[in-house]
Amino acid sequence: MSDKITPPEQREVKKLRLQNMSAAERACVRRRDAAEKIWKFFRFVILCGLGFVILYPLIYMISCTFRERNDMNDPTVMWIPRNLTLDVLRETIESMDFWGALKTTLFLNIGCSLVQVISCAVTGYGFARFDFKGRKLLFGVVIMMILVPTQVISLPLYTQFRYFGIGSLKVNLIDSMLTMYLPALTANGIRSGLMILIFRQFFKGLPRELEDAAYIDGCGPFMTFIRVMVPNAASSFLTVFLFSVVWYWNDYYISSTFFTNTRTIATMLQNLDSELKMRIFNDPKVQISGREQIVWRQAGCLISIAPVLLMYVFLQKHFTEGIERSGLVT
Amino acid sequence: MSGNKTQKKAHDVSEEKRSAAAEKNGRRPLRLSYAKRKELYGYGFISLWMIGTLMFFLIPLGKSLWYSFNEVRIEPGRSVTEWAGLSKYDYAFNQDPKFTLALEATLLETLWKTPLILIFSLFIAVVLNQKFRGRALARAIFFLPVIIVTGPVFRVISGDINTTGNMGADQFSTMFSTDLVGELMQFLGIYGLSENMGEIISTVADNIFGIVWSSGIQILLFLAALQNIPPSAKEAAQIEGATSWEYFWKITFPYVSPFILANLIFTVIDSFTSPMNSVMERILEMKSEWNFGEASAMAWIYFLIVLAAIGVVSAVVNKFIYYEVD
Repeated sequence: MSDKITPPEQREVKKLRLQNMSAAERACVRRRDAAEKIWKFFRFVILCGLGFVILYPLIYMISCTFRERNDMNDPTVMWIPRNLTLDVLRETIESMDFWGALKTTLFLNIGCSLVQVISCAVTGYGFARFDFKGRKLLFGVVIMMILVPTQVISLPLYTQFRYFGIGSLKVNLIDSMLTMYLPALTANGIRSGLMILIFRQFFKGLPRELEDAAYIDGCGPFMTFIRVMVPNAASSFLTVFLFSVVWYWNDYYISSTFFTNTRTIATMLQNLDSELKMRIFNDPKVQISGREQIVWRQAGCLISIAPVLLMYVFLQKHFTEGIERSGLVT
Repeated sequence: MSGNKTQKKAHDVSEEKRSAAAEKNGRRPLRLSYAKRKELYGYGFISLWMIGTLMFFLIPLGKSLWYSFNEVRIEPGRSVTEWAGLSKYDYAFNQDPKFTLALEATLLETLWKTPLILIFSLFIAVVLNQKFRGRALARAIFFLPVIIVTGPVFRVISGDINTTGNMGADQFSTMFSTDLVGELMQFLGIYGLSENMGEIISTVADNIFGIVWSSGIQILLFLAALQNIPPSAKEAAQIEGATSWEYFWKITFPYVSPFILANLIFTVIDSFTSPMNSVMERILEMKSEWNFGEASAMAWIYFLIVLAAIGVVSAVVNKFIYYEVD
């Protein structure tokens, strides 16, 4: 068959083939075609239904953000607001101190993720390609890092950071960004166990010949890592980095444990209710019912996921394709 | 060793490789076997992590274990511990009003939710692996939960959906103003079925929201596995005239089976460590009431159970996995 067959030609070919078949064969082909059509229909229904389940909260968020609070009590308003307004959005941005929090969060997120990706890659490479005593035991510790929830160690960690240092030389690190940067720098940040595992699997999957060639050329292990392995791992670096940004962005447990003044988007969202109570809800001049408060809460959600959502829309390919190429597959 | 390194840096790698190597061999101050040297480099690569793990993981972990056997008081400047033996564990099991209940609820929920999530995500992955128009969009939508589900927004989402009375099956029901599950069962003529069965079905329907939202990563991994099935296997199946049902069980399933284990472990860990489950909530509650000893004991009981569960599950599942021999 030629390379390019247009749909009408395809139909011709099919017809010709059908003519050459016996009745039983024709029936079989027809049955198969019918089954395929039914399946196509079902697939469409299933995907649409489940897609709706996923998108429902997002659509609801958008719909709530731009409506006036009275619309919550109007039973005819399901999705499209009757009274469009930007006031709710403005008030939420103000009470979350959105722009300030965004700056802090970005500084924290991108910095920590960058540092953590590098440290985890180095560690993962060490585990993937070098034989040393106690490797299995140490790798067991990595697995432990994945299994132990942060909540278990958060209290001792708090005291650790509160009185950080050796002997009498103690510093209080609580509220400084070092509480995030130090663990990230030493491959112990958020979900770093998983990241080390991913990198280890990935580097294990690369052919050994790559390094052997570099060694023969007189390249030391560290330079080999930088010059040969890292360029090969570029796409998986990007994927892990993106996931790391998302995990840091979504973290509120660690940041609310170690920060009392530093404000990230996630902690601001946690505190949105009390902040709103102070600013708007407690105003005796206006009565706002619990149902009406949802408008502000949804607006808060929308603006706090908007940046990652944007990132996802533009870099979606790297989120999904990178996983396929990164080590988890092998 | 350090002399070695500087020398290596001084020479451009691409130039005079051989002579550099020879020179190096002649002047090396420290004679170590190749294997020994590589071992040292290995430690070098993981040294940063070792320091960090000691400081930010192992010591805190040990401390929390220590706290679980102690009465902990925070005094200005330091925390004071007083040996209390197993009393904290005794408290968690026998006296705490909520802990055992929460533990039971969480374990049960994980037990029935995990298989559902796995089956669902495998199914969706198979569907998303087929060719159809709008596939890229469908994939983008199904992976979307990955970026939201770990964050506080998800809490608000699930919380608010509760407060407005729309969740899972109800969500659709309110749209069509009918009791969808009930209607369907009546339509199928399922009246006399035991109450339990009906209850199970409606719980599942109610939880479809949670299941869809927590299977993003699983779908991603399964999809990656599906794309790794060698085309030769596909061709062979086609030539032999396998139906798509047979193809699924004889080709797809064996190839993705290692990922079932990976996904299983991932799902179990995810649901156990989620700050939204009731055990975690109880532990955090105890912590905020400054009962650190009790909180640590609970955390350790919980952690050991999780560890045991994962161990048993992976041992069992491992027996049924098909590994391709290279």
